[in-house]
Amino acid sequence: MALRELPLRTASAFCSHVRPVAQLVRPSFRRNSSSEALYGIEPWSPFSVPPPSEELSKTFDPVARSKLRRRGKRELPPSRYQYRPPKYYRGRLHPHQPPPVSDPSSRLFQPGPFSLPRLEQTYQSTIAPDVLTLTYQHYPPGYRAPKLDQRLREWTGESPYFRNRPLRPPRGRGDHLRLLTPPRTFRNVPKITKVTIHSMVPEAQENSAHLHVAGMIVQAISNIRATTHKARHNVVGWGLREGKYVSVTANMEREDAHHFLAKLVDVVLPRIKEWKGVPASSGDGAGNMTFGLTPDQVALFPEVEVNYDAYPPKMIPGCHITIQTDATNNKDARLLLQAIGLPFFGKLND
Amino acid sequence: MNAGQQTTRRLASRAGQSICRSCKDTRARNYASAAAAAVQTEDQIAQHVPPVAQISPSTSYAVNAGVVLSRPPQITRDLHPFESAFFLYQRRLNERLALPFTRYFYFKKRTPADLEWKRKMRQRLTPARDIGRYKGYGEEAWNDEILVGAKESDLQWQVERLLKDSEQSGIEGQVEEGGEGSSTPNAGKKVEHEPVERPMPRVTEADLKNDVKSLNRALQRTLYLLVKNKEGHWMFPQDKLANETLHAAAHRILGLAGGVNMNTWVVGNVPIGHHQQDYLEPTKTASGLNEFGLKTFFMKARIMAGQANLKDNKLGLTDFKWLAKDEIQKEVDRKYWQSIKNMLAER
Repeated sequence: MALRELPLRTASAFCSHVRPVAQLVRPSFRRNSSSEALYGIEPWSPFSVPPPSEELSKTFDPVARSKLRRRGKRELPPSRYQYRPPKYYRGRLHPHQPPPVSDPSSRLFQPGPFSLPRLEQTYQSTIAPDVLTLTYQHYPPGYRAPKLDQRLREWTGESPYFRNRPLRPPRGRGDHLRLLTPPRTFRNVPKITKVTIHSMVPEAQENSAHLHVAGMIVQAISNIRATTHKARHNVVGWGLREGKYVSVTANMEREDAHHFLAKLVDVVLPRIKEWKGVPASSGDGAGNMTFGLTPDQVALFPEVEVNYDAYPPKMIPGCHITIQTDATNNKDARLLLQAIGLPFFGKLND
Repeated sequence: MNAGQQTTRRLASRAGQSICRSCKDTRARNYASAAAAAVQTEDQIAQHVPPVAQISPSTSYAVNAGVVLSRPPQITRDLHPFESAFFLYQRRLNERLALPFTRYFYFKKRTPADLEWKRKMRQRLTPARDIGRYKGYGEEAWNDEILVGAKESDLQWQVERLLKDSEQSGIEGQVEEGGEGSSTPNAGKKVEHEPVERPMPRVTEADLKNDVKSLNRALQRTLYLLVKNKEGHWMFPQDKLANETLHAAAHRILGLAGGVNMNTWVVGNVPIGHHQQDYLEPTKTASGLNEFGLKTFFMKARIMAGQANLKDNKLGLTDFKWLAKDEIQKEVDRKYWQSIKNMLAER
C-alpha cells in the first residue's frame, strides 16, 4: 500500500535492493522452462549471513536458555514435541511412513562413521594405484576381446530328450563356474569389502559359559554385536549335535573392518611368536582368504589384554578370520592382502 | 521461439559435416584404428588378433625410459573442518543411542581403577574420552552441538584428551577447583601414572625450512623425485632405452641417476604414462629412418629407504628435488606437465 504512493523510480530502486533476483532475471527474449522457477528461489543464502558476534557466542548457553524458557511451567512430555517413527511398517499406502534409515529419528538408524581409518587412506593413496600398476594388462588400441557367449556345453546327440534340456554342468568335480576376471581398470581395483570373525566352540554344548566368553571376546575385538549359530546336523566325528549352539560370528564392514585389519596387522600379528604367516593354500577362488588364530593368539588383542582377568583363561576361544575382497581370483586377493601387510607362506593356491 | 531455435540448430548441423565427439576421437587416432580395421576386415572370426605394427617403418621415434620415483604419504591427512565436525556429531549421537558402558566387566568394584573411573566419569559425564563434556542420557542429552569456537572436534584436542586421560587419575582437577575441598581423603594422595610418549609432530623441521631435498617434508603428500638435466630443465630421471626391458631400464636409470644409496622398488612391468617430444626437423638415424621425435615411457618406482645423491652421476644431472604434485607444476614445462599430470597422485 505504501509502495503504491511512492514515485515509480523510488519504488523500483527500493525493490531492486529487496529482491535482487527480480533484477537478475530480467525479462529477456530467451524463455526457458526454468524461468518460472527462478522467481520462486529466495534471493539470500544462509552462507551470506555473518556469524553471530563474539560476545553473543561467548555468553550463549543453550541449557540455561532452555531452563529459562520453561521456568515455572511444567515440561511437556517428550511425546509432545519429539517425533516418533511408526513402530510397524504398514505398507506403501499408509499415511504414516517411517523416515529413511539415515535419519537419526529412524528406529533403524545407526550412527557412524566416526573416523577416517588410516588403512583406508593408505589404500586410497598408495595400495590401490600400486595394485593397478601391478595387475594392469595392456591391449593395443583397436583390440577387441574374444567373444565368450556360452561357457557351458550343450547336449549334442540324436536323443529327443536333449532338446530344450538345461546346459551340461561344467567339467570336473565342481558344480559351479569359476568367476571371470574382467580386464583391470581403475574402476575394478580389488578392495576389502568385509571381514568376518568366526569362532567355533563345540564345548558350548555341555557348558554354555564357553559360548558367552566367545561372544564377549568376538564382540570386544570386532566392535560388532556377535551372532550365535546352531549346529545344523549331527556330526559324530566332531561331537556336534543338531540344534545346539556351537559358534559365534561377527561381520565387519567399512570402518570397523579397516580398524580391525589395521589392529591385526600392526599390533597382534607382530607379537605372535614364530608365526609363519597366512597359509598361501587359503582362498576360495572368489577373492576370500581365511586363516585361523589360536586361543593364545586371540588373547594378544589389546581389547582382550586390557581386562584379561575378566575371561576364564581356559575358555578363551580360537577363531577364524575371513577377509572378503572383491577380487575375482586368489592371486589378486593375495596381492591386495600382501600390500596391506599380511605375509603368506607355503604352497600357492591358484 | 523454441521452434525457431531448433530450426537454426538443424540448419547449422546440416551446413558442416557433423560428427559426434567420440567418433571424432576415434577418427583422429587413425594410426591404430586403420591397422585394426585392416585386421578385422580380413577375418571376422579371429576377432582377438591384436593389430599389427605399421607396414612401412619409414617414420620413427626415439624411445626413452623414465622413472617416477615416489615416496608415499607417511601419515593420515588433515581432516576438513566439516569432516571432523561430522565425526564428532556422529560420536555424540552414538553416545545417545548406544547401550551403557558395562562398567563392572572392566573394573572390579572398590578397586583403585574403579574409583578412578568414577572420578573421571564425574568430570566428563560420558565413557568416551575424546568427545568433550557431554552426557548422552538424561534431560540435557539434546545439547549435543558444540558452540562457536569450541575445540572439541579438533583432532589435536582429542589427542591431548586421550593422553591426559592415560596420564592423570582424575584427582588433579578436584584439587584445583576447591581449596576447601581438601578435606576429602583423595586430595592428599597422589596417584602417579607413567608419562605417555607423545606422538611425533605432524609438521617436521624440513617443512618449516621448506627443505625440498629432504624426504621428511610434506608427510601427508606423495613426494616425487625431480632432477635438473644438463639443459637446465626439471624432469623425471630418464635415459635412452638400450636393448633391455623397461623394468630393467628403470633399475639402471635409478642406479645411474640417484646413486646406489637408495632402496627402491620398481612397481610392475608396465609404464604408467608417456611423454612425446617432437623435433623441429626430422633427423636421420643410423639405420636410415626418419626420427620425428622422442617418446618417454615412465615406470613407477617407490623409495623405501635412503636418499638421492647426484655426486658423479652418469646422466649429467645437476640438481634434484622431492616435490608434491602441485609443486611439480611450477617447475616443469607446460607441455611436459600436460603429459605427466594424470599419472601423479593427488595426495
